[in-house]
Amino acid sequence: MIKIENLSVAFDGTEVVKNVNLEIADGEILGVVGESGSGKSVTALTLMGLVSQEAVLTSGRVLYDDVVLAQAGIPRDKALYRTYQGSRMSMVFQEPMTSLNPTGRVGRQVEEMLRLHTTALTPEQRKARVLETFLSVGLKDAERVYDSYPHQLSGGMRQRVMIAMAIILHPGLVVADEPTTALDVSVQNQIIELLRQINKEQRNAMLFITHDLNLARRLCHRVAVMKDGRVVESGTVEEIFESPKEAYTKRLIEAVPSRAGKATKVRQENISIQGGKAQALGEQAVSENILEVKDLNVFYREGGNSLFSGKKKKLVVSEASFTMKRGETLGLVGESGCGKTSLSKAILGINRDIEGSVTHYSSYPQMIFQDPYSSLNPSKTIGWLLQEPLRALEHLDKSRKMTDKDREAAAFDMLHRVGLEDKYFDRRPSQLSGGQRQRISIGQALITRPGFVIADEPVSALDVTIQAQIMELMRSLQEEMKLSFLFISHDINVVYQMSDRIMVMREGRIVELGDTEEIFTNPKEAYTRQLLQES
Amino acid sequence: MMRKVKLPNIQKWNKYFTAGLIMTSVALFLAILGLFWTPYSTTAMSAAERFQAPSLMHPFGTDNFGRDIFSRVMKGMGTTIFISTLVVVCSGGAGILIGALTGYFGGIIDEVVMRITDAVNGFPSILLALVVISLMGSGRQNLIISLAIVFTPSFVRIVRSEFIRLRDADYIMRARLMGVGRVRILFVHILPNIFSTFWVSVMIGFNNAILAESGMSYLGIGVLPPDASLGKMLSDAQGYLMTAPWYALAPGLAIVWLVLGFSLLSEGMRRNP
Repeated sequence: MIKIENLSVAFDGTEVVKNVNLEIADGEILGVVGESGSGKSVTALTLMGLVSQEAVLTSGRVLYDDVVLAQAGIPRDKALYRTYQGSRMSMVFQEPMTSLNPTGRVGRQVEEMLRLHTTALTPEQRKARVLETFLSVGLKDAERVYDSYPHQLSGGMRQRVMIAMAIILHPGLVVADEPTTALDVSVQNQIIELLRQINKEQRNAMLFITHDLNLARRLCHRVAVMKDGRVVESGTVEEIFESPKEAYTKRLIEAVPSRAGKATKVRQENISIQGGKAQALGEQAVSENILEVKDLNVFYREGGNSLFSGKKKKLVVSEASFTMKRGETLGLVGESGCGKTSLSKAILGINRDIEGSVTHYSSYPQMIFQDPYSSLNPSKTIGWLLQEPLRALEHLDKSRKMTDKDREAAAFDMLHRVGLEDKYFDRRPSQLSGGQRQRISIGQALITRPGFVIADEPVSALDVTIQAQIMELMRSLQEEMKLSFLFISHDINVVYQMSDRIMVMREGRIVELGDTEEIFTNPKEAYTRQLLQES
Repeated sequence: MMRKVKLPNIQKWNKYFTAGLIMTSVALFLAILGLFWTPYSTTAMSAAERFQAPSLMHPFGTDNFGRDIFSRVMKGMGTTIFISTLVVVCSGGAGILIGALTGYFGGIIDEVVMRITDAVNGFPSILLALVVISLMGSGRQNLIISLAIVFTPSFVRIVRSEFIRLRDADYIMRARLMGVGRVRILFVHILPNIFSTFWVSVMIGFNNAILAESGMSYLGIGVLPPDASLGKMLSDAQGYLMTAPWYALAPGLAIVWLVLGFSLLSEGMRRNP
């Protein structure tokens, strides 16, 4: 039985966790959901005794089976914690690549848990126990995995190794901090299933931290919703999802992209888009293509551009053929590594290692990237960033010459269009939140009025409520500016919300292409059906 | 539209930076003052005042010609700082240009330039500078040129690795999509982002230049008399270590003061980007 009583944690005098009460019974999975910055990770780290030294417990205490592990006003008892960490409580982190030591064989790393906490086992017994645990977490080729280095394993396998490490000593508490966020959807499901199974067999208490409400709903028995350091609502999964009491919980649940919520929206959208098109372009223009891709093969050059390393060409996209119409959103789904990004880079001409043909009927197509933190130049101000595409365009096309004043006015106009105020004009990207940065990215892509924009996972790195806002913004700008989007995502529900048609990719090939409703109601390929089921 | 001028945030200055700033400011002040005014003439000799120990009249004492050592340290520091600054400006500028081009474009030119810098790095730097000087002759100008050649490779490497890191950044990719020209991408989009790293290496390079210049002048192939230079003063003082230890102490301390000041400054910048 784990109890967190009235816990408050402060960094530099600002409280990031405020009066949190949580209880996890043995054999129970408690989900803590919330957006980034809600204090869910700090709560978990405090529970584990892993929170950084600067953190101060300003009130409350942490109990493990009625033993006080931490209490406000008393310095952290590291010796006491050491007897609990690893053996009686363990943690699975988000990033399976950085949580394993890249220089050691994973078998030895897992075995270290046994070496540290049990004295009675011989080396042979330890290895046998590790192999047994590998099998129980679904690593079938246990012997090979034992001798592998982390980089030789896939993300899903690494996460299984992490879980093996966490459960090998049968701890009473397992804390999983976003354990599936870095994984593909299909792998995500397997890991969730695995956690459920472990919980059933070992009867340990589990604390499952996630920003993804769907996952919490599927795995957990009870759920606590956190916002700004407080638990705003907690209860059983049914209570939270069927009849949420707090407005914030309702908002979170509504913001999750799902197939159920779309039907009405789609109809509205179709009408408005068609209405807009008919007015602006006339009947004939409606069928005009903005992009034609024919028999496109895309290659990836291995070995970099060093003089002495051999060059290998690898085919990453084969025989892609499709067209896109003006004003249309084409959704592109597939797992990571299926060639989505390679295809989009080939379309934009960033990757020139291609065969086949790509024809644009729009000038200066643009791209919006996934990571809002790396897609804006950190040394520039927002105003400068918004004006730069215009300056570049002037350089290419003398007829689009603008005065400094006009350019600045255009930048201010775009700032308003993406929903930000004047005051952001002189700020730098580091002073903006992730959602605000993604707005600027969108503004930067659209300021030259391109007809065609590729959006590569534009909302995947954002919190759910921000996700919904950004998708709404993209939709309204599309209507206003008659844009065509190639919308790439691994999340089929997000794609469903955004797209008129959907294209499914697998291992470099387009396996299915059709209208959104058609794909969702009547998928022809087995792979598409699998994707739909897993989401 | 109001544009606010951003002042450095004083609260964020750490003690390394503050100490470094104070030390280098004092040195710079004395060196610049030395250009226009020194307490005594730096060249006028006086047999009556030879080898006077430090006193209120001559805070660092006098040398074998009866010249005021404090005045000569002021002049010498000026020379040393002037030469080191020019060396860093030349090698840093060349480093930015070569590093940016090789890092961003890569390919065969990059490979060739890198092997050349490897070769230059393979020699001990003082030896290399000696070779250059013996080919071109000694003197202030040639000293600067030879040290700049020796110092360029390290700047090339730092700038190049930063450009390699940033050339595939999402925002650079997007700048390319917008149709921004190559030169503009190199020097307007990428360059400002490497300055925090670059300044630290400039400070370290500056220190090395001070030491190298002092070393070269000490060996007698740097600054020519009657110009004062800290290294030259050290070598002059060598013969009188037993009779007039303050003569060697003063330029030695000045070198330590300068190097320590810039080290602290770069450490402060590194810790607080």
